[in-house]
Amino acid sequence: MAVVELPSFVRQDGREKVTGTARYSADLSTPGLLHAAVRLGGVAHARIRGIETARARALPGVVAIVTQADVPDLRYGTWVRDRTLFASDAIRWEGEIVAMVAATTEAIAREAAALIELDLEPLPPVVDLEAAIAPGAPLVHPGWAAYDGDARIPREGNVGSRHTIVKGDAEAALAGAPVVVRERYVADGSHALPIEPRAITAEWQGDRVTIQTSSQVPYLARTHVASTLGMPEGKVRVIVPHLGGGFGGKCEGHFEPHVAALARIARRPVRLAFDRREEFLAPDHHRERMVIDLATGVDHDGTILARSARILIDNGAYGADEPYLAQLAAVFAVGPYRIPAVATESLVVYTTTQPTGSVRGPVAPQVTWAVEQHMDVVAERLGIDPLELRRRNILVEGDEGPVRQRIGANGAKTALERAAEMIGWGRPLPADEAIGIATGWWPSFPGPSGAVVKLNADGSGTIVTGAQECGTGSVMALPILAAEVLGMRPEEFTLLYQDTDAGGWDAGASGSQTTFNNGRAVVSAATELRERLLALAAERLEANPADLELTDGVARVKGSPEAAIPIAELAAEAQGGRLLIADGSGDPPAVPEVDAGGCVGRLGGESFAAPCYFTQAVRVRVDRATGVVRVLEVAAAHESGTIVNPIGAEGQVLGGIVMGIGQALTEGTQLTPDGRQRNADMLDYKLVTAADAPPMRVEFVQVPDPNAGPRGLKGVAEPPAVPTPGAIANAIARAAGTRIRLLPMTAERVWADLADVEAGR
Amino acid sequence: MSRYLAPAGLEEALVALAGGARPVAGGTDLVVGVRQGRFPIPDDLVAIHRLAGFRGIAEGADGGLVIGAGTSHAEIVAHPRVTRDWTGLADASAIVGSPATRATGTLGGNVANASPAADTVAPLLCADAVIVCRSTAGERRLPLDGFATAPRRTLLRPDELIVAVELPAPAPGSASCYVRLEHRRQMEIAIVGAGALLRLEGGRVTAARVAMTALAPTVRRVPEAERILLGSDGGAAAVTAAAEAVAAAATPIDDTRASAAYRRAMAAVVTRRAIGGALARARGETVTIPASDTLFGAA
Amino acid sequence: MRYETSFRLNGTPVSVSVEPSRTLLHVLREDLGMTGTKEGCTDSECGACMVLLDGEPLNACSYLAVQADGREVTTVEGLSAPDGSLSALQRAFLAHGGVQCGFCTPGMLISATALLARDPDPAEETVRAALSGNLCRCTGYQGIVQAVRSAAAEIREG
Repeated sequence: MAVVELPSFVRQDGREKVTGTARYSADLSTPGLLHAAVRLGGVAHARIRGIETARARALPGVVAIVTQADVPDLRYGTWVRDRTLFASDAIRWEGEIVAMVAATTEAIAREAAALIELDLEPLPPVVDLEAAIAPGAPLVHPGWAAYDGDARIPREGNVGSRHTIVKGDAEAALAGAPVVVRERYVADGSHALPIEPRAITAEWQGDRVTIQTSSQVPYLARTHVASTLGMPEGKVRVIVPHLGGGFGGKCEGHFEPHVAALARIARRPVRLAFDRREEFLAPDHHRERMVIDLATGVDHDGTILARSARILIDNGAYGADEPYLAQLAAVFAVGPYRIPAVATESLVVYTTTQPTGSVRGPVAPQVTWAVEQHMDVVAERLGIDPLELRRRNILVEGDEGPVRQRIGANGAKTALERAAEMIGWGRPLPADEAIGIATGWWPSFPGPSGAVVKLNADGSGTIVTGAQECGTGSVMALPILAAEVLGMRPEEFTLLYQDTDAGGWDAGASGSQTTFNNGRAVVSAATELRERLLALAAERLEANPADLELTDGVARVKGSPEAAIPIAELAAEAQGGRLLIADGSGDPPAVPEVDAGGCVGRLGGESFAAPCYFTQAVRVRVDRATGVVRVLEVAAAHESGTIVNPIGAEGQVLGGIVMGIGQALTEGTQLTPDGRQRNADMLDYKLVTAADAPPMRVEFVQVPDPNAGPRGLKGVAEPPAVPTPGAIANAIARAAGTRIRLLPMTAERVWADLADVEAGR
Repeated sequence: MSRYLAPAGLEEALVALAGGARPVAGGTDLVVGVRQGRFPIPDDLVAIHRLAGFRGIAEGADGGLVIGAGTSHAEIVAHPRVTRDWTGLADASAIVGSPATRATGTLGGNVANASPAADTVAPLLCADAVIVCRSTAGERRLPLDGFATAPRRTLLRPDELIVAVELPAPAPGSASCYVRLEHRRQMEIAIVGAGALLRLEGGRVTAARVAMTALAPTVRRVPEAERILLGSDGGAAAVTAAAEAVAAAATPIDDTRASAAYRRAMAAVVTRRAIGGALARARGETVTIPASDTLFGAA
Repeated sequence: MRYETSFRLNGTPVSVSVEPSRTLLHVLREDLGMTGTKEGCTDSECGACMVLLDGEPLNACSYLAVQADGREVTTVEGLSAPDGSLSALQRAFLAHGGVQCGFCTPGMLISATALLARDPDPAEETVRAALSGNLCRCTGYQGIVQAVRSAAAEIREG
């Protein structure tokens, strides 16, 4: 185990980003470009009796309008095919798109969109999660039973899917436990909210369409376009210019088919650029509202005997990736702890609110916020130090996980202890300050991915990759891996990325999977190229390839540096014959064996491959009179396998923590009783500013894991957002003397709890 | 299609106003208001940012201050007389919007806008500010107290321009403070705020001003609170009673930023802190500008 | 009605004919091709659109283009030297991990440039306050704050 010093690694896209020459989707223009505007439903739930576009069409400058009547009548959905591109029978959330207009200017397009007349019959909103699954609740999808869906997923009525983790007999173990703690936690939703609102341009040439979009997942976007417009994937080219952040909100296909369809009708290129309000309301990736019930049985010495959990997860109006995430939620409800008896159930609930889906570490921050507070409550009940309770129960090598998987060597306990040391756990503090701690885990997602590595005649390299750079620097770090294999320097490689016609398939900037999977592809391609280089060098040096090495830009005989040929010379020579170009994908590492026989709704998420383990400790100050909480300091210790790009990895942790602080304190989505958002603007949906972001210290604990990615690395981007709200919650509870079981823990909520305490309520 | 004029001289601007033009200085409220659909873009705009003598702070003959309406919040908080003698105004000017807002936004704009949440108005009320208005018909000097009549409504006539804000000399032994409830340390709009000015003579409060922000349709003084403080020793009992008087006088709204109940409770808290800050300063103690941040966690 | 609006843009005189209702941001991006300045919220909340107007940071999304007449506008494109070499701030942003997705970067650099022009040795708190009108979702701000202080030191030491 080692602590990493940070060498500086200057990202290749850095220069264009600091000079303003980096072009993002909304910066692009093309001759004949038309501007699009969306018409959103505007109400949470209504039957559509009619859509009248005549007045909009009559507006001078309007070129085309597209509604569901103009696209193939196909349903789509990741796990359940529950929707169409445009609302046609019903509006199921206020941000649902009903129509899109193309006009000569954006102002005309917006004016025309507002002129589209919707004849609506109000339907009852379905907002509250408990009420949505109560008998007799109005159905969000009355026709749900007829929808095609994944057969592994149990669903009924407003319960879009149901998932359980079962190990041992939790009920009996709880009944027999000396101490049992039962609690409920309720989390509001929140937004990914990248600073770049999305923009999409579509241009047809013949029967092929090129789409430039701010997507985290260009290949999934391509599939989405092809499948919804009924065309082959090869006719769809998706290019992502620079992407101004995603955080999950730009995962999956979004509005690419809509713009493509509109451009086809208009016979001209069309660009859609969302304004901030639309970026709040219309994407179908909102962080989930949840109701989390937890029960833990524990021995007097702090040994956890059993855990049960029931988690209601808001699916919103249509399904994205929640069924898979709900399975993860069931695992997070157990936490990275040794618990012999487990029974967790998560229900994905349809409501007439914005669809939910992956937002940085989806479901994990909320569940971990609840579970880690719950751990502190258990510790309080037992009179045990919260750090000690975690230390006694945290997973160590050889333990059995929630689905009886064998836990390998890991840094969970070290990270726990390091974070506590770094913050000074137990030190005296002023009365209004306190330290809180939270620990957690997050899996890796092994999957296919492709890359090509080639050497140019001057010896420089080019990596052509399907991977998507969303800002994290994961694609920028790929040259480090290639350079290491080829004995070159990272800055000798350029990157071609984010073009589905160029690179191999990749799942995109989601699941923190880029370096894990595409890194493997790059290493695989570079390794093949290395063999070719060595073969060429062997001929020139009249040596056996096995005796050669690539290092410092040369091929040479091991142990005799004087017998060397520059790689550039070999590359130049190859121009006269067989080019130095290689592709790679590599075999994804194995996932652990599990015994999940009793579990329902298994989609693979339960296996929890090569998890990252982490602990964060925070110091807060609470203004007792106002309820305002300030985070003063954060210490983060993360085990994410081998750290390949330290400055990049540290940047992920720092950014994740600050996102977590926002989710903890100020970022909740506020809903009206009928399910519309009250704070869909950046004044009232408050991100953390530079003035509020605390000083943070980060350490990486490195432990080899056989199931990890190339060089033993794991994903880095999502874990940092996971434990922060829980650590803040525990600190607030200690500083304020009252525990906040609503997320976000807004000033008003803290104040209300303190007022209750003072009033003896 | 709208027309635009950017004169260098006041008279030309006033003629344009008399002809129905709308003034624009920093323009933030205008542009954002138009985009949010609160009002249409005016047909006729007269830019006033270039007017000579419109920007800057001058010392009045009586020891008071004349702040040009086009003076930015950043300029105000950087002025040594403001930070010394009108500290409450400095507290407010230091926290309006963002650094960019403070560089562009003007005091005249903040006053003319008549937002119930305008930060600078409470300390200006406490300072007995006078609004100097000009039109082609001449000059009117109006007390700020009563100038705003309703949200975004003032006594300013359409052909008039606010050219300056006059602050009379503060009485010896007096000091002021402005405190806003802040959920973030920057980029906030007042959910609740309070300004206070107190004069201490021989351990007695001989002058008192208390004004509340975002707690009524306009930023306004709270005479009930001022009466409680006047003649008192400025001790905890009087301060608490005055703060409660503000909470009682408040007519808070219930919206996405806060419930009415929370706002009312916070009215008492920020008032207590503003009065406490003003008293401390009157006693010669330092309460660092901006007081909202300094008094975080105070009683 | 359109108005001939002339100003210096990154040191070069420009002249555009604009309707008074148009914002400086749109004129910069659409008429003058300066797409380095970004549109993030059109509400003066995010700071992605920030430019310098006579050296002061300004949310160009909330400013009428006609009001720039006769003034000096600096966008991110004007921060590096004419020969293309990066400013101390631009280099420091890269060296300290102050850039991830890069969408806030232009506005962030503008605010930082304005700060260092008036305060060559800002304390950490001062830097944080000066950048508070520029929202970043990626970096957690720490690398940016370090970059600004490091660039300040470099400039001071010449």
